[in-house]
Amino acid sequence: MDKPSRHATSMIDPTLLARVVKGDQQAFSQLYDHSSTLLFTLAVRILENHEEAAELLQDVYLEVWRKVSRYDVGRGTPVAWLVTLTKSRAIDRLRARAARGYRATSSLEAGTAALVADLGPSPFETQADQELRIAVGAAVAGLPQAQQQAIELAYYEGLSHAEIATRLNQPLGTIKTRIKLGMSKLRDGLQQWWNHGELQ
Amino acid sequence: MTHEELEESVPLYAAGALDRIERQALEAHLLSGCASCHSALKDYQSVAALLPLGLSPTKPPRSLKATIMAGRNPAPIPAEAAPNEPARPSLEPGEWMNHVFPPVAPARSLSLPWALGVAALLIVTVGGYFAWNMSTQRSIDTSNIKKLEALIQEKSTKLAGLQREVGDQANVVAELRNEMLQRTNEATEAKKQLAQREAELEEIRIQLSQRESAHTVRTPQDELASLLRIPNVKAVSLTGSDMAKRAAGFLLYDSQTQKVWLYSVNLPECPAATTYQLWAIRDKPMSIGIFHMDRGETAHLLVTKVPSFMNAKTFAVSLEPSGGRPQPTGPMYLLSRS
Repeated sequence: MDKPSRHATSMIDPTLLARVVKGDQQAFSQLYDHSSTLLFTLAVRILENHEEAAELLQDVYLEVWRKVSRYDVGRGTPVAWLVTLTKSRAIDRLRARAARGYRATSSLEAGTAALVADLGPSPFETQADQELRIAVGAAVAGLPQAQQQAIELAYYEGLSHAEIATRLNQPLGTIKTRIKLGMSKLRDGLQQWWNHGELQ
Repeated sequence: MTHEELEESVPLYAAGALDRIERQALEAHLLSGCASCHSALKDYQSVAALLPLGLSPTKPPRSLKATIMAGRNPAPIPAEAAPNEPARPSLEPGEWMNHVFPPVAPARSLSLPWALGVAALLIVTVGGYFAWNMSTQRSIDTSNIKKLEALIQEKSTKLAGLQREVGDQANVVAELRNEMLQRTNEATEAKKQLAQREAELEEIRIQLSQRESAHTVRTPQDELASLLRIPNVKAVSLTGSDMAKRAAGFLLYDSQTQKVWLYSVNLPECPAATTYQLWAIRDKPMSIGIFHMDRGETAHLLVTKVPSFMNAKTFAVSLEPSGGRPQPTGPMYLLSRS
């Protein structure tokens, strides 16, 4: 077992990825320590199933290992890259699952119970991560409920604006406006976090 | 799509809310080198990447790391050397940047000869150019299709709106028709009721008229009025006896209706437990009827029926005990002259 890392997930150094590109296994291990909780949290949120989220993370990290050379700092921060990749793969799974007619089962609760012992007193979350979590949580919670709901349906359930409009029984234009306004407010509220280089 | 529309779709793209065609249209636009959309997308993608940081953290199972570390290949595969990956079910947001920013040069561990490397690079470059060119053309076509689809969608929306409006109007007309029908029914019902009331009223009038015609004479005035209209009536005058000198009477008899009227005046008040009794006398007295004079009464009209008058010659009124007697027992108060 690797030592618990106290590096902030939000502050993964791009040079760490450069080391992974060169085949540095220790760097890859560190990358996992820094990012796995965030990516697992995201996968569980989307898939609502711990086992499936763990499977997904396995695929994602192997893909990261194989394709890390594709990462370019010009495209965004390491965290943004990892989050985008994980989210994209999780949504793909969600759609494949929907195509098979699968529905989330109660395994989420069972999985949660099984993982309680692993949670502990958060050695993986630094103060910087905690502050950012609170800031993002506050920014999202500060949105009007309708905007928050529309963004979450798109982001975590992979629904298009048309699908959201159908589900919520609202006009398409209304849904587009809600997402645009919500994203715009989040950008204005959180801009300092990447402008100040917190995520770099 | 106009630039404004494309620019507006950037936050939706970052949130993952665009459908495939819109996503491709925006990616084609970004490939064309729009700096403002590029900048906006970077901002919104940063926002999108932050969102999961706001979730309450859940740590993965401890065994996962070991599985991953054991399952990976010995070394990362450079992007250019991994061309045979399976087609992805969806385009991942940010994938377009691969075109704008070519991947970083991979590890320098390639063992191919330099000339082969140059040739491969040339092939990749030329191929890339053609691929880019075709991709751009496809993007333009996609954009045109998208425009047409948007136009069709807009028209469909308008048509649907008009259909809804027509439907609403039809509903209003139907409601008005129903209301009119209801009012007509109410009016018909009211007419029926009116006719019924009129019939009832007519019936009441007829009944009233019949009652009026069948109404028996009850008051003295009516009796007198009836009496005065009867022809061939027999009239007898009575005068007071010594018992009542001021008293007088007038008797009328109608043989057709067999009715007798006795109009008496100034008879004294009947003492207690007594009553006046009218007699018709031929061979012997026959009681015709009794009447009572109350205190303060000065005139009285007795009306009664007599089945057989027996051609009586004399009429008399005597004072008798209450209820009358078969034969006169008390003093006479009125006597006919003949």
